[in-house]
Amino acid sequence: MRIPILKLYNYLLTTIQVELDDQTAIQFQDDLLNKIHETGAIGVVIDLTSVEIIDSYIAKILGDVVNMSELLGAKVVLTGIRPAVALTLIDLGIRLKGVPTALDLEQGIEKLRQELGE
Amino acid sequence: MNIAPNRVEIHNEWDIVRARQSGRERAKELGFGHVDQARIATAISELARNIYLYAKHGEIIISVIDGEKRGISIIAEDNGPGIRDLRKAMEDGYTTSGGLGAGLPGVKRLMDDFDIVSEEGQGTKITAKKYLR
Amino acid sequence: MEAAPVVTLINKRRSEIVVRWKEYMEERKDSSSIIDGRTIETTNDNFVDLIFDYLADNQSQDRLNNLMGRILALGWPLSYLTNGVHIFRRVVSTLIIESEMEKAVILDYFKAMEDLLDPIFNNLIEDATSTWENTVSIQKRALMELSAPLIPVMEYLAVMPLIGTIDTERAKLIMENLLEGVIAYRTEVVLIDITGVPVVDTMVAHHIIQAAEAVRLVGSECVLVGIRPEIAQTIVNLGIELGEFPTKSTLKKGIEYALELTNRAIVYKDKPSGLRL
Ligand SMILES: Nc1ncnc2c1ncn2[C@@H]1O[C@H](COP(=O)(O)OP(=O)(O)OP(=O)(O)O)[C@@H](O)[C@H]1O
Ligand SMILES: [Mg+2]
Repeated sequence: MRIPILKLYNYLLTTIQVELDDQTAIQFQDDLLNKIHETGAIGVVIDLTSVEIIDSYIAKILGDVVNMSELLGAKVVLTGIRPAVALTLIDLGIRLKGVPTALDLEQGIEKLRQELGE
Repeated sequence: MNIAPNRVEIHNEWDIVRARQSGRERAKELGFGHVDQARIATAISELARNIYLYAKHGEIIISVIDGEKRGISIIAEDNGPGIRDLRKAMEDGYTTSGGLGAGLPGVKRLMDDFDIVSEEGQGTKITAKKYLR
Repeated sequence: MEAAPVVTLINKRRSEIVVRWKEYMEERKDSSSIIDGRTIETTNDNFVDLIFDYLADNQSQDRLNNLMGRILALGWPLSYLTNGVHIFRRVVSTLIIESEMEKAVILDYFKAMEDLLDPIFNNLIEDATSTWENTVSIQKRALMELSAPLIPVMEYLAVMPLIGTIDTERAKLIMENLLEGVIAYRTEVVLIDITGVPVVDTMVAHHIIQAAEAVRLVGSECVLVGIRPEIAQTIVNLGIELGEFPTKSTLKKGIEYALELTNRAIVYKDKPSGLRL
């Protein structure tokens, strides 16, 4: 299963619509990093509105993606984390410190603009 | 309601997803709210993944607690290498696999009751329960 | 089952028992003064009829449950009900004693009467307590849910006033309400107002910080407002780290700050344009 990644100007947008199993998550990490490299994108929005569960393993992959993307010169914003998912992350002790968040895709793009001073 | 325990054998990554999905369904049937459903599914995911990562295979048993307090019980059992230092394993951030070390202490917080028995070279058995509010 | 002699006695002297019972009840009236005179007349009639119905019908558990259901459904004070059963017992005792039967027979009658009336009494107490406990727990829950509303103030801005003590169970509910509300109103900034929280200890602070962190995860921001001087003191004295969450002393300052965060400002119409708060 591959998660589609769209390019919009110099941003990449991706909406995770599937149950994130380990394989899909790792594949997504590879795909996103390659796409950033290919396109020279400076901002990425990952929308998690449809994701019903994030365990510590998936959370680590997401956190890693954010840091790796930054090394490649792209700022990442996570959007649409559900209340139930946020509460389980808190119980797991995972805060995703320093990772920008926004309510939805639209505000995620807005946030990127602010962060990147565009 | 079907109250026979649901057993899910864990051999590969897909089994982790199967186990947590079946746990979420059971939690929903029992009348847990959707936040608690997510907590229960996440706890199962953590336990199943630990089995897969550290013991290679084992079993998740999901059953209904039908006593004075109603709830759900999750047992994660394996015959893997066991955990030498349980105190450490329960600390936030302790990991031997480059993970976040969030799994076990997290499960304890996600659920209401948590019990772990582990013997080096024998295996690990974790029982975690959550009650309806 | 054949009716016990005492039941036969009670049924035979029914009208007499009712008269005496009512007299006693009348004497005790002030203890149930919530009920007015006319109602008490019919109430007493109903109550004593219910007891007789039960006695007449072989006193099965079903009948007893039925009796309890009907008695409790009338919604009378428990003190009145227990009193009624006590008085019934006293009236019947008197009848038994007055019958001038042999001592041994009288004792048998007494025992039979006790076996008859004790279950009514016990069930009454049990049912009433469990109904009461139920009500209390329902009310407690309702209170918990009600006492943490998220109030949308203007577009993208909401306030959650916290009132009262925050324990772990309540903290969980507050967090759920808070996050659901943030999503429902698309709130960019939430002001958590702790003016109404009497004591902020490490535990409470911990819950508030977790709430703020969860709010950040769903993509909104928290500002903690309503910090009184003594709360500032406890926070520092206890060495509580509030993390990177901004705090303001008053709700008003919090709102101004929130507007600034979202690139907005209050502009007064009658002042020269552009004057901002
Ligand atoms: N079933 C098990 N058998 C053997 N060792 C285990 C088992 N479960 C956990 N452990 C040990 O306990 C440690 C802590 O587990 P925990 O789930 O808390 O963190 P993690 O798996 O390392 O990381 P994370 O769960 O955050 O991805 C593991 O690193 C592992 O050494
Ligand atoms: Mg783990």
